[in-house]
Amino acid sequence: MNKKTKSIALNILGILVLYAALSTLIGSGAINNYLSNILITICITIIMTASLNVTTGLLGQLALGHAGFMAIGAYVSALLTKSLSISFGLSLPLSLMLGGLAAAMCGLLIGIPALRLEGDYLAIITLGFGEIIRVIIENLSITGGARGLTRITRLSRAFSQDRTLSMVIAFTLVFFITVLIISSIFTLGRSRHGRAIISIRENAIAAEATGIPTTRYKLLAFVFAAFYAGIAGGLFAHQISIIDAKMFGFNKSIEYLVMVVLGGMGSITGSVVASIVLVALPEVLRGMEEYRLLIYSFLLILMMLFRPSGLLGTREFSMLAAWEAMERFCSRVFKRKDTPTRMPFQPRYDIWEDKPVLETRDLGIDFGGLKAAEDINIHLSDNEIVGMIGPNGAGKTTVFNLLTGVYAPTRGEIMLLGKSIHGRAPHQITHDGIARTFQNIRLFNSMSALDNVKVAFHSRMRYSPLSGILRNASCLSEERGIDIRARELLRVFQMESDADTIAGSLPYGRQRKLEICRALASNPKVLLLDEPAAGMNPSETAELMQTIKLIRDRFSVAILLIEHDMRLVMGICERIYVLNYGRIIAHGSPEEIRSNPEVIAAYLGQPQSVQEAAHAES
Amino acid sequence: MDLLASQLINGLHVGSIYALIALGYTMVYGIIKLINFAHGDIIMVGAYTAVITLVSLNWSPVAALIAAIVVCVLLGLTIERVAYKPLRSSPRISSLITAIGVSMLLQNAALLLFGAQPRPFPIVLKVEPLRFGGLQISFITLLTLGVTALLMISLQTFVHNSKPGKAMRAASEDYATAQLMGINVNNIISLTFAIGSALAAIGAYLYVMAYPAVSPTMGSLPGLKAFIAAVLGGIGIIPGAMLGAFVLGIAESLAKAYISSQMSDAVVYFILILVLLFKPTGLMGKPSGEKV
Repeated sequence: MNKKTKSIALNILGILVLYAALSTLIGSGAINNYLSNILITICITIIMTASLNVTTGLLGQLALGHAGFMAIGAYVSALLTKSLSISFGLSLPLSLMLGGLAAAMCGLLIGIPALRLEGDYLAIITLGFGEIIRVIIENLSITGGARGLTRITRLSRAFSQDRTLSMVIAFTLVFFITVLIISSIFTLGRSRHGRAIISIRENAIAAEATGIPTTRYKLLAFVFAAFYAGIAGGLFAHQISIIDAKMFGFNKSIEYLVMVVLGGMGSITGSVVASIVLVALPEVLRGMEEYRLLIYSFLLILMMLFRPSGLLGTREFSMLAAWEAMERFCSRVFKRKDTPTRMPFQPRYDIWEDKPVLETRDLGIDFGGLKAAEDINIHLSDNEIVGMIGPNGAGKTTVFNLLTGVYAPTRGEIMLLGKSIHGRAPHQITHDGIARTFQNIRLFNSMSALDNVKVAFHSRMRYSPLSGILRNASCLSEERGIDIRARELLRVFQMESDADTIAGSLPYGRQRKLEICRALASNPKVLLLDEPAAGMNPSETAELMQTIKLIRDRFSVAILLIEHDMRLVMGICERIYVLNYGRIIAHGSPEEIRSNPEVIAAYLGQPQSVQEAAHAES
Repeated sequence: MDLLASQLINGLHVGSIYALIALGYTMVYGIIKLINFAHGDIIMVGAYTAVITLVSLNWSPVAALIAAIVVCVLLGLTIERVAYKPLRSSPRISSLITAIGVSMLLQNAALLLFGAQPRPFPIVLKVEPLRFGGLQISFITLLTLGVTALLMISLQTFVHNSKPGKAMRAASEDYATAQLMGINVNNIISLTFAIGSALAAIGAYLYVMAYPAVSPTMGSLPGLKAFIAAVLGGIGIIPGAMLGAFVLGIAESLAKAYISSQMSDAVVYFILILVLLFKPTGLMGKPSGEKV
C-alpha cells in the first residue's frame, strides 16, 4: 500500500468511525435528543453550504437567494409526505427527490433569464427571487399561509416506537445523504464539467474561447446547487416538523453565504468545517445567552480581517482521494473490468491543399457610425504562417474578434474549411476549428497548468455530468485519455515539469506558452495569435519564433498572428497583411511589404505632409 | 382618483426616505464597490440617538437631529476605518461578509443595550394635515419631500461643482488613476461614508416621524429596500439612486393599495427583476462589457 492509498483509506475509515461513534453514542443515550438534533442540523447545513459553494465558490457568482430553493424543497416534500398515503419509509425518499427536482426546476426558471447578468446584479436578482418565493409561500393557502405548515412527520419519531432507535435511523439517513451529496460535489468538481465551471470563474471570455459553452455551464451549476438545496430543505422540514416561510428569508441565505466565505470560497471541505463550527459555536456560547450573537458577529468580523480568504482558501482536504481509493479498493475486491483508456476524438480534416482553410469575403463591422473594419479579404492555407501588422487602432484585434465570433460582422462572410461560420457562438467556432490567444494573457489563473490545457479538451469529450458524479467507466477512460494527451502537449513545449504549477504563478514567458498550448488542445485548424511576443525580451522572442515554427510543422495548422515585433514578423511569416483604418492596405511577402510605399507611409507618416506641416509651422 | 393621488403622494413620501438611504449605498458602491450591508443599521443607530436625546435628555427636536447626524457620521467613519479599510485589497466578497458582520454586531449591541421592545418615537411636530380638495396630506409628508429635494439638490451641486465632489467622481470612475492624479483617496472614501451616514441619519429621523417605533432591527427592511432602489436606478450613479427610490416607493404604495398589501414586496422584487432583465445595469446605468 503506498502512501497515498494509505491516507485515502484513513479518510474513508474516518467517516465510518465518525458515523459508528456518533450513532453508538445516540443509541446509548449519551448524546441526548437535543444534541442529536444539532448533529442533524449540522448535516443539513453542510449540504446547504456546500451546494451554495458550487454557485458562489466554483462558478464564482454571488447568490443571495439560496434559502429560497431550500424553501421550495421543504414545502414540496412536506406536502407530499403529508398527503401521500404510503408508508413514511417510501414517501420520504420520494418526497425528498421531488422536492429537490422542484427546486432544480425553479433554479432553471430563474437561471435562464438571470444568468445573463453578472456580479452584483445577478446577486440582487437571486435575492429578489428568494424573497418572491418567500412572499408567495406566505400567501398561498396550500402552504398554510403565514402560519406555515404544521404536523409534518418528524424524522426522529417516524421510524420506530423506540425514540432512541428512531433517532439513530434518522441520523444514519441524514448522515449518509450528506456524505453522498458532498462526494458527488467533489467528483463533479473534478470532472470535465467541474473544470468547465471553474474555468468560467477564472476567466469567462477565455473559457468561451476555449470551447466551453459558458451559459449552459452557468445554468448547470445553478440548477445542481438548487437541487441539493431542495433536498436539504426536505430534510429540514421533516426534522423540525413545523415550517413557515420566514425561516427561509434573506437572513437565512446570508447565513449560508457567511459559512461559504468563512470556510473558503471554492473549498468544499472548508464549507463542511465552517458549517460544523458555525452551527456548534452558538451552542457552545449558550451559557452566555445574551452575548451570544454579539460575540458571533464580532468573531465574524475578526475572522474576515485576519483571514479574508476563509479558513481553507481554495484548498481541500483529501476527500476525493478517499473516493478514488474506495474505487480502487472496490475494483480490486470485485475484480471490475479494467476500463480502457479512450483517447480524445481526433477529427481528420480533409487535406485542403491549395484551397484556403480560412477565407473572409468582404468582411466588415461598424461600431455606431465608425467602420472599425471594412472589406477584409484574407485567406489562409494549410501549414501557413501569416502575419497581420498595422499601427495601433488599425483594427487587427477587431478582425480576430470577428473571426472568433466575439463580434458579429455587419457585412461579409467567414468561411472555415469551406463552410460559413455565420451566427455561430464563440465556443462553437472553437469547436469548428479556430483557436486563439489573447493580447493580455487570459489564463485560468488559479487552476494548474495541466487543468488549463484539459479545459480545452472539453468539447472533445463525451461523458455526462452524471457519469462525472459517479466516476464510471466512460468518465475514467476519457479522463485518462486526456490526461495523456494534455501531458503530451505540455511536453512538446517543454512544460511538463510545470504541469501541476498554478498557472498564475508561472513566469510570463511560460504563461504565453501555456496559452498557446491551451489553444492547441482544442485541436484547431486555424490558430490566431494576438501579439504573442508582447512583453518578451529578445531571447524569449527568438525562442517563440522557434515555437511557432514547431507548431506549424507538428500540428499542421494555419497560423495568423498579430505582432508589432518586426523581426519576428519578417522572420517567420510567409505572407503579411497590413491593416490601417480598418482596411487592408497591403498584402504580400515580407520583402514586398518592407518596400511598399503605402506601408511606410502608414507607419512613418506621409513624407510630403510632414514637410508641409513643417512649412506651416515656420 | 383621490385614492390614486394619495397613494402617489404616499409613494413619494416613502420614496424620499429610501432615496436618502439609497444615496449612502450608491456612493460607497461607486468608489469601493462594496455593498455596505451595515448602512441599514446606521438608520437604527440614528433613530435611537434621536429618541434618547429627545425623551431621556429632553433635548429639542433640532438638537436631537444634530445629535443623530453627529453620531451616525462618527459611526460610519469608524466602521470604514476599522472594518473595511484593512480589506480594501482583499476579494470583494470578504468585505461583503465583514459588512454583514458589522450589521449583526450593531443589531445585537442595540438589542443588548435597549432590549427588543420597540420604543415609541415622540411626536415632535403637531401640525394639522393640509387639505387640497378631498386630498389630505400630512405635514410630515410635505416636510419629508421638501427636505429630500433640498438635500438632493445640494448633493448634486456638491458632487458636480466642488473640488472634493470632483475628486469623488474621479475616484468612482477610476480609483487607481485618481490616486495618481494626487487625490487622497482615503480621505475621499471617508468623506463618502460621512455624507452617506449623515443622509441616513436624516432619513432615519424622517422615517421615525412617519413610523414612530424604534427597535434594534428597524433598519434592515428600509435598508434592503433602499439598496434595491439603488440597484434599480443603476448602482454607483447618484441620480439613479434617487430615481430608483421614487420608482420603488410609488410601486410599493400602489401595489399595497391596488393588489394586496402582503404581496407588495413580491411586486417590488418583480419590478426589479424585470428592469434588470431588460436593462441589466439599472435604469440609468451604462452598459459595461469587458473588452477582449
